[in-house]
Formats: sequence, structure tokens, C-alpha cells
Amino acid sequence: MSEREVVLEVADLKVEFDTYGGIVHAVRGVSFQVRQGETLAIVGESGCGKSVTLQSIMGLIPMPPGRITSGSAVYRGQDLIHNKYIDGRDIRGSAIGMVFQDPMTSLNPTMTIGDQIAETLQVHRGFSKSQALARAVELIAMVRIPDAAKRASQYPFEFSGGMLQRSMIAMSLACEPSILIADEPTTALDVTIQAQILDLLMDLQKEKGMAIVLITHDLGVVARMADDVMVMYAGEVVESGSIDDVFYRGAHPYTMGLRAAMPSRELGARQRLTPIDGSPPDLFSPPSGCGYFARCPQAMRMCQAQHPYLMSVGKAHHSRCWLQHPDSTRQVPGLSIPHLGAAAVQS
Amino acid sequence: MLRYILKRLLHGLITVWFIATATFIAMHAVPGDPLSGEKAMTPEIRRNLEAKYGLDKPVVEQYRIFLVNMAKGDFGISYTQQNREVNDIIREGFPVSATLGILAVVFAALGGILLGALTATYRNRLPDVVIMFLVILGISVPSFVFAALGQLALVKINAWTGFTLFPVAGWGTVMHMVVPSLVLGLGTMAYLTRLMRSSMLEVTNTDYVRTARSKGLPPARIFLKHQLRNAILPVVTVLGPAIAAITTGGFVVELVFAIPGLGRYFVQAVQQLDYTVIMGTTVFYGAFLVLMVIVVDIVYGLIDPRVRLKA
Repeated sequence: MSEREVVLEVADLKVEFDTYGGIVHAVRGVSFQVRQGETLAIVGESGCGKSVTLQSIMGLIPMPPGRITSGSAVYRGQDLIHNKYIDGRDIRGSAIGMVFQDPMTSLNPTMTIGDQIAETLQVHRGFSKSQALARAVELIAMVRIPDAAKRASQYPFEFSGGMLQRSMIAMSLACEPSILIADEPTTALDVTIQAQILDLLMDLQKEKGMAIVLITHDLGVVARMADDVMVMYAGEVVESGSIDDVFYRGAHPYTMGLRAAMPSRELGARQRLTPIDGSPPDLFSPPSGCGYFARCPQAMRMCQAQHPYLMSVGKAHHSRCWLQHPDSTRQVPGLSIPHLGAAAVQS
Repeated sequence: MLRYILKRLLHGLITVWFIATATFIAMHAVPGDPLSGEKAMTPEIRRNLEAKYGLDKPVVEQYRIFLVNMAKGDFGISYTQQNREVNDIIREGFPVSATLGILAVVFAALGGILLGALTATYRNRLPDVVIMFLVILGISVPSFVFAALGQLALVKINAWTGFTLFPVAGWGTVMHMVVPSLVLGLGTMAYLTRLMRSSMLEVTNTDYVRTARSKGLPPARIFLKHQLRNAILPVVTVLGPAIAAITTGGFVVELVFAIPGLGRYFVQAVQQLDYTVIMGTTVFYGAFLVLMVIVVDIVYGLIDPRVRLKA
């Protein structure tokens, strides 16, 4: 893996929410790096804090009730937590673009698609309205929507889901950002459209050289897109590394569980899915030990008492599991699951 | 769009016909007639008068005559006022009532949208709490109380300052119009404020507003282009009924402030069973309201492309 420039470095980010039931510790000390031109996939089940992490960096969580209690997010030497402006310009939409999960509700229903794309250019690039609209038409064509000129003057309700997501992508890329955050960009779309959107993202990445942060719970999407993978659980990073490390040399029981839960093709219709039993811990009062303790098949006594730290298990490969501690006498089982090779290539 | 408007106008015409018929039936169901209030008259005189005014004809025949005349735009002559055509009464009173009503609607809509957006922005903070308290007051207190209180306040203020900026009653200058239209629009404004507040809060939490923020747009632009326009839609929807509420409420305010609008004639006519005036003013008012509702629908279409393009 070539070492490319780090464009975004997040360190020890902690986010809390005040609710009637108490304080929810949604993100509990997350650190990661995003490198130029590469794709970082953040995976984990619903409520593990993957979206909150990125939204808090982008200043999109409502505050209050949300609150960033510690940590930093540095974009090319500039801290984003306290200042979202570089040279008086908002980095959101210019240096970092964002695509959301549900394209049907993520676009303004009373504005034309062209206007919504052009708006970003007017604000960040100082384009005139007509200049911006002309560029918007080019962008719509770039994301492979036919008849771009006509489409630009239409409203979101006249578009299909796939076309809306393409428009979202065109909008987020209008100012050629160096990072694109894609928050479950294909979850709301059907499978054939999913593949088209992912292809589009990969092609555009090659063309523009931007970094992509892909938030997803679909390991198939990860296998197709990612260079690096970060697995989150209960507001923490439990494993991170290159895609090969995490997929073939997984070093955390939760990663194993996720992979085992993934349906494989060759077993066919008679295959029984292997779920991870139990549910994630209560984030009102996170456990003092390992967050995965209650569901972990390899749990040891110390896992309940001692909170594990991220341990290095290889070059740029980390796992938050006591089994990886140098003093651990137990081996991590299940390092090779037979159908995995097929799964990784699957979609 | 044109087809849509024509369709709405046709529906409106049918509605007006319903209003006319219902009023006609209700009016004739009331005991007595325009002549029964007069001082004692011999049966002969009465018969002559009935024949003159067509009151001796069968009700169905009267209805037919009324409809034909209405279609020609002729509402007849007042029974109780000398030599007054109903059309003259409308021509004289309506512009006054309409001015008052439109001012009140504009005041209610602008005030409601502004205050609603403001309370949503300052949700659960001091401005929100204070305004929402006043809003509850505005919704609960009927307009005639506000009219009386407003007038009393004006009297006191004028006496205290020694000069009259806003006259206590009457009609004629812009200054005459301010206080009555404020009073008249107050209840509706309070209602619209509530509606706008909840609609604004809803819009603020939508995905597309989050998208707008992720694009790094300045807050003012997000507010105007992404929040306000979408939040206004439910407010525009109720503007039609709101106009109806304001115009009917107008009768009372006109009375209190001695404004020579239609309301006064309307109330008098009902008391005296002045058939032609009742029919004329009711049908005219009905038609006006129906037209306003259609106008509101068209405006709605202009704001929301989904309505405009799918219709």
C-alpha cells in the first residue's frame, strides 16, 4: 500500500446526546485517517455511531441536544470541529462533499435539480446564476443522467430514486471536493441501481482523485469499494486495517460475527443465516469493560472488567480485543472462514 | 395549469349556486316575510304589495325568477330602504369591507409567517414562550372583545397624547384602517403563527435541510430557500378558510368601529327579513369567498411544483 497524503485525520472524537432518558454516549473516542484518493469504509450495525461520527465532523448533528465533548478532526492542517471555514469559505460543499442515504427525502421538493446543484457553485465559487446552471447541466451529464438540459429544470418528484442519488452525487461533487462522505448511499436503492451507483462513484474517484468515506452496513459494498475498513461497535472502533486484513485476517470476534452473518452464494436457499445473538450495549451507561462482552463467544473474565484498547496486530491493522494482547494465551479462532473468498468477490 | 384554473372556476360556480339555493330555502323557512314587520295594514293593501313584489307567486316560481335575475347580475330592490337597489348597496359597501378584509388577511398572513418562523427559530427560549402565550390569548379571545378593547385603548391614548394619530372610529383615511384591520386579523394571525411554527420545526428536521447544510450554504440562504418556502405550504392551504373567517368576523368589527361596510346592511337585512338584500349580499359574499379560495389554490400551485405539474 502506497502512503498517500492524509487529507482528514480524526482523533479521539467523542459525541454525546442529551435525551430525556439521560446522556447517550454515541461516539466514544473514534480515531481514523482518510488518505487522498483512497476509500475508507466504516461498517457496523445500526446505532453503532458510524453516521454520527461523520455528521458531527460536518456539523450536521443538532446541538443541543448533541455535543462534541472531545477530540479533533483535522482537514489539511485545519481543525474542523471549531471552525468550518477556510479563507472565509465553508469547507462543507467545497472541500468535503456529502451524499446521504435516502435520495427521495434528501433533496428540496420545491427547487429544481439544476438550481440545487447550481446553488453550491454560486455560494462557493461565486458563479453567476447562469454560469452555475450551465455547469450544473454538465454535472448532471457527468453522473450519466440522459437529457441533462431538460432534467436540470425538473423537480425531484419527477426523478426516480437512482437518478436522485446520481443528482445528489453531482451536487456533492460540484466544487470538486477532496473528500466525499457517502452515508449509506445505496441502502435505499434496489440492487441493480446500487451497482450502477457504486460503479459511478468508483469511476468518479478515479477521475477526480478524491477520497471517499463510505458508511455502510453492507459488506458486499465494502468488498467492492474499499481500500481500508474500520469496524465500529457501540460507539468505538473495534477493528481497522486494510480490506485484506479485515476480511481475511480478521482479528476481532465482532468482525468474525459480521462476516459469518453474511449470506454466501454457494450454500443457496437452504442456507441458514448465522446471526450475532443479543443486542448492543446500552449507550446511556456504556459497560466498563469490552462493549462486545455480552455477545462475544470468546469472552474472558477480564473482558468484563477491563476496557480493551486498540492493539496493533499487523502493519496498520488494529483490534480492540484482549485476545490480541501479547500476553494472551488463547488464539483467535475462525481466522479463515471457507466461503469468505467468494463473499468478498460476490457483488 | 389553464385547464386546472377553468375546472376550479366551474366548481366555484356550482358552489355559488348551492349557496344561493340554501340561503333561499333558509330565508323562506323563517316565519314572516318582509311585509310582516310593517305597521298594521289591511289585507287588501297587503295583497297589492305581495302582487307588486311577486310574493303571491308559488315559492318555486319565486326561486326561478330569483335565479334568472341573479344570472343577469340583478339582485333587485330593497324591501325596506327607499329606492335602493341591492347592487347599489353592494357597490357602496363592498369596497370598504373588502379593503378591511384584505388588510386583515395580509396582516394575519405576514404576521403569522414571521412570528411562526421566529418562534421556531427560538424554540423553547424566551421569545418563543412569550409569543406562544400571546398566541393562545389571540386564539381564545373573540374579535369583538379585541375590537372593544382596541377602541378603548385608542380613546385613552388619544386623550393622553392630546392628538389623534389613529381615529377611534369611522372610515376614510389609511389611519382609519390600521386599528380595525389589526383587530380583525389578530385571531387568524395567532392561528397561523401556531401552524407556521410547527410546520417550520418539521421542515428544520428534514433530510433536505440537512443536505443544504452539508453543502455549506449560509444560514440565511438555507432559511429562505430551503425552509421558508416548504414551511409556508400548510399556511397557504388554510388561507382560504382564514379569509372566510376574517370576512365574516368583519361584520362585528365594522359595527364597533362604525365602518360603512356591507356588514351593517347584512345584519339589518336579516333582522327585517329584507329578502333581496339578504340574497344579494349572501350570494355576493359567497362568490367572493369561493373566488378567494380558488386564488389561494392557484398560489399554492405556484409555490409547490408538485401541485402545479401533477394537476
